[in-house]
Amino acid sequence: MKLEKDDLIKLYKNMVLGKKIDTITIEGLAAGKVVSFFHSGQGSEGLAAGVASFLRDDDYIYPHHRGHGIVYLISKGFSGTEFLAEHFGFAGGCSQGISGFHSVDPEHGVLGSSGTIGSQFPLTLGWGLAAKKNGREQVAVGCFGDGSSNRGTLHEAFNLAAVWKLPIVWVCDNNGMAQYTPIADAYPREDIADLAAGYDMPGVVVDGMDVLAVHEVMQAAVARARAGEGPSLIEGKTHRFRAHSEGSPDVNHFEPRSEELIEKSKKRDPIKLFEKKLLAQKILTKKDIEKVDKELQAEADEMDRLATASGKPDPSILDKMLYAE
Amino acid sequence: MKDTVFVMAINEALREELERDEKVFIIGEDVQQGTFGATGKLVQQFGKDRVMDTPLAETAVAGSAIGAAMTGYRPVADMMFGDFMWIAGDEIFLKAAKWHFLHAGKVNVPVVFMGAIGGGFKLGAEHSQSPEAVVMHTPGLKLVIPSTPYDAKGLLKTAIRDNNPVVFFYHKGLLGSPGQIPEEEYTIPFGVADIKREGTDVTIVATGMMVHHALAAAEQLKDKVSLEVIDPRTLEPFDLDTVVKSVQKTSRAVVVDEDTLRCGVTGEIAALIMENAFDYLDAPVQRVAAPNIPIPGGYMEKYALPQPRDIIAAVEAVMGNA
Ligand SMILES: Cc1ncc(C[n+]2csc(CCOP(=O)(O)OP(=O)(O)O)c2C)c(N)n1
Repeated sequence: MKLEKDDLIKLYKNMVLGKKIDTITIEGLAAGKVVSFFHSGQGSEGLAAGVASFLRDDDYIYPHHRGHGIVYLISKGFSGTEFLAEHFGFAGGCSQGISGFHSVDPEHGVLGSSGTIGSQFPLTLGWGLAAKKNGREQVAVGCFGDGSSNRGTLHEAFNLAAVWKLPIVWVCDNNGMAQYTPIADAYPREDIADLAAGYDMPGVVVDGMDVLAVHEVMQAAVARARAGEGPSLIEGKTHRFRAHSEGSPDVNHFEPRSEELIEKSKKRDPIKLFEKKLLAQKILTKKDIEKVDKELQAEADEMDRLATASGKPDPSILDKMLYAE
Repeated sequence: MKDTVFVMAINEALREELERDEKVFIIGEDVQQGTFGATGKLVQQFGKDRVMDTPLAETAVAGSAIGAAMTGYRPVADMMFGDFMWIAGDEIFLKAAKWHFLHAGKVNVPVVFMGAIGGGFKLGAEHSQSPEAVVMHTPGLKLVIPSTPYDAKGLLKTAIRDNNPVVFFYHKGLLGSPGQIPEEEYTIPFGVADIKREGTDVTIVATGMMVHHALAAAEQLKDKVSLEVIDPRTLEPFDLDTVVKSVQKTSRAVVVDEDTLRCGVTGEIAALIMENAFDYLDAPVQRVAAPNIPIPGGYMEKYALPQPRDIIAAVEAVMGNA
């Protein structure tokens, strides 16, 4: 798929809008409006938009928890209002405020998310199994972090996805950190993509800060999956611009994370990098960018307003949620 | 005595045991910093080999702790959240709990599994549970749930020295709660309940955060009803004697737990009271625990957490005023 002007702008907007919602969530937490916790996704917008912007509605995705998946979700058609309302614990949330931070939207292939890392592997395996059974060339995308890759569930799922030749794309957001632990102390090799070789699937490393590069490898993996050729693994190298979660110490084990390194990594902000390209290719002018920014800010503010207006949920819903009819 | 807070009492117990016995080590995700502070500032004194940060791999955390324990080490495996014990379910429930028994006592598993439990922070169903029922249900696991800094320190030291697997749950809502501990070293034996407040009319049995809710209820009711608040401190072993003696005096009992009511520890304790003190009871034992739903994350969390007013309602019921 060659990206037309509109496609490029779509990618750009998904990143920018996602970051705006991410920012509203950070501010909401500080203001006591967001009910639980938040793990900002700033630094990973390029990887997320590159992975999720051109999937079909009926493709399944388990978003990575950075930004609580917001850029993946927006890109997949998920409602930003529902995302925010869920984080506010309000009735308009995707889970009517019951989860506080999960995402769910079956119509857009988001069947749920979780607070325990590592569950994405076996569940995505199941979605891939269903996709194969359905025979409609659907794809299941299972996203995870470098830290998540340390879970044993990865290996069970990678193995069976390969043995069963399932239409799955595994996507690793390798930002080099898992909470306070650097990947170098958690994994003996440089590239997580190397794990793919053991399961006889393609494994590629891509610059996760470069949305177009991500898009390209994603297209190849999706095409392979839709053609029934089996799973692939994509590893995007990214950076975590903020602390693990808002308010938690930003440490490497127990010592402050190098500010110099964070500042340096911010110079390769995926949104800024893409802007430069769009400007150089004359897809957008400086003016256009300002305009897009204003429009998306207004859109995000409106989501915030609608989410807030939905108000606290009626607890009587709890009694109806335990079992299906 | 000196002033401290709950999380520092845990930290002190770990420091003293690391100092006392070189076989003790701490293992878990991000323990050098400590997600809740309990294991923090120990790596500076004991080094990275005895305060081990692991990858995100609960099976490996619990499993390697169990394996090392069987060879004579005394690991404290920090599972971060108590909920995450489930991720190492095979290791904790099928190995640690059973291997001493299944191998005719030829091997010991002296490991402590630590985890933060409890609601109150709207963190959702996978970060807020109080999973004591399943642990108490599992033969072979000892279970500690302290409610004060004093108990936390003394019981954790005993847990580390115990030759069996011990689950040590501490409530997130109590981390900053103040208390006093002795200057000098002390330990607290397992299976000895502590009467947190003496009373004459109703026996309340509670652990962890629920002890504080019970004390709050006792304070509110003090002009009308005299509550005796008993904290078993360890649910396995369980100090039935202290509870039965109290019921012989009060003739009424309310059992409180933050975990789910159905098949929860309140059912077990209420049955024990019925079996062992039936003739003394003037009213059916009342239970206060969480409703049969996963813990919701946001504002509705409170509907899944027992509150002091629920204890007051149960007290009124056993007093015949409901
Ligand atoms: C099973 C489980 N273990 C531990 C945690 C706590 N935790 C949440 S995110 C995280 C780090 C994840 O690291 P990584 O997968 O690299 O993703 P990142 O947060 O760096 O994007 C940890 C340890 C959890 N939520 N679930």
